[in-house]
Amino acid sequence: MSRLFSFILLLCFLIVSLYPFAWMFFSSFKTNKEIYQPAQLFPEKFDGQAYGMLLDGKFVDFGEGLWQSFFIAGSQSLLATFVSALVGFVLAKYSFRGKTFLIGAALIIILIPRQALVVPIFEWFNFLGWTGNSWSLILCGIASGLGVIFFTQSFRHLPDELIESSKLEGFSPWRVFRLILPLFAPGFVTYFLLHFALCWQEHLLALLLLDDNALTLPLTLAKLSDSSHRAPEAIGMAAATLSFIPILVLFGLFFGKMRTALSQLSLS
Amino acid sequence: MTGLPKKSFRQLLPLLLPFLLLWVLFWVVPLVMGIDLSLQSPNSGFLDPQLETVEYVGTENYKRTLNDPKFYKALSNTFVYVVGSVLCILPLAFLLAVSLFECQRILRGILAFCLLIPGLALPGAMSKLFYLFFHGREGVLNQYLVIPLGFDPINWMMDPDFIMLSLIMQSIWRWTGVVTLFFLCALEGIPKWHFEVAKLEGLSPLSKIRQILIPGVRKLALFVAVFLTVDGVASFSGAYSLLGGSGGMMDSGLLLVTYVYQVAFPGGSGRFDLPGAAAMSLMVAPMVAAFLYLVLKIRVLLKKG
Repeated sequence: MSRLFSFILLLCFLIVSLYPFAWMFFSSFKTNKEIYQPAQLFPEKFDGQAYGMLLDGKFVDFGEGLWQSFFIAGSQSLLATFVSALVGFVLAKYSFRGKTFLIGAALIIILIPRQALVVPIFEWFNFLGWTGNSWSLILCGIASGLGVIFFTQSFRHLPDELIESSKLEGFSPWRVFRLILPLFAPGFVTYFLLHFALCWQEHLLALLLLDDNALTLPLTLAKLSDSSHRAPEAIGMAAATLSFIPILVLFGLFFGKMRTALSQLSLS
Repeated sequence: MTGLPKKSFRQLLPLLLPFLLLWVLFWVVPLVMGIDLSLQSPNSGFLDPQLETVEYVGTENYKRTLNDPKFYKALSNTFVYVVGSVLCILPLAFLLAVSLFECQRILRGILAFCLLIPGLALPGAMSKLFYLFFHGREGVLNQYLVIPLGFDPINWMMDPDFIMLSLIMQSIWRWTGVVTLFFLCALEGIPKWHFEVAKLEGLSPLSKIRQILIPGVRKLALFVAVFLTVDGVASFSGAYSLLGGSGGMMDSGLLLVTYVYQVAFPGGSGRFDLPGAAAMSLMVAPMVAAFLYLVLKIRVLLKKG
């Protein structure tokens, strides 16, 4: 491909990707009147009023939303990484009866995602009396088909000699799994991040399962824009900016690890 | 799969138990309950376990759904949305990944990270932003693109012809960077000697792409396509926030999950019809499966032919 073409393509896409974020950031300093002129990027004058009004909790409890999102996405991703890694390891390294069934179970979760089962999930949690509890949201996202496939693929590249030698030693599968854990740090981090990003965005299930007094960030933002006839638009932009920073930092820190793991993953 | 050590299922059970348990509790049970629910009358007291007025009506709810014109509208909208997004994202992401692959290593990482950023934002937050972007005559898209190119300004959010296009554009904006990163990593995973051979044989850039780069991402592309399809069918947040829970003008932006939500929970249309919603979602799942199966079949046929 010619240099010029790829340069222009990249440049265009960079602008398209980043411009809305720049606009979002600068808009958090704008007045309503300025925001409704979207072609204008910079505010007349910078004042951080909107951030103050957001954080003092008059409109929504932003701090609570941030903590809820962190807690839910963090615990769900941690558990999902562990549970999927176990299954992926077994699928990649052992042959046993019921293997096809297990692969089928993982695939069908992808095909019929939780979003398609919201109504019965809501009813089921209602029956259990768990609605309003953040653990209900955490638990129903742990068994992940994507996770199982991700880890099956990554454990395939593990040298079989390792397993062979531990078999001679008579180690149990659990022991072998613990032995190889450190070798797979990039893979674990990568899946954790991917799951975290998806869970961080969960809207529908959170809308149904959580109480009004413990909202996650997507719900907090939705509530804020519902009340936008009272709250200045800049507050919504400030909330969007702040809700974006944690995940950006998280991905920024582990981006290198993620790339390593992903390039190993697609070898086969 | 020969050569793997054999174990009995029981020996491996401790490792598989957490997954199986959660799978049964939070996937199988809801599925069975959904099937049960879809066979009940919309008037039974399903929300209150104390009220034992469950009344089964057989396939009534399914028939009702099949006679519902809005269901077909939502179905075709979702189909257009998913196919449109996937067909735009995959080639675009591949071109971007190849362009990045030709950059220097340090620059490559920084650029890939910048492209990834839209995928990390909350769709709800971004939709609010897009609303302002697409909004009326003053929207950025109109100001910078449509009017300079000499067209009449488009009323993106009000014109039924353009709501779907704005939803697709939003999806492209969100996912292309993520897919680009996946493709880029796949390209980096291609063994170096492939490129050395290509150099020795004097392969042209175009045939390099066809013979080395495309095979390098083919498997991943399939995986991504499946993921995007399922995610598109299940997508809710973006359209919900953009259109405020409605289907937009003349329902031209009505997606399936939004409709299921509207039917099930008041606030949408206030019908509170849980059995109808359950029947609807259960009918969607086999359709997605059939669609994916068909796509895979066609792919295999194309390969043979």
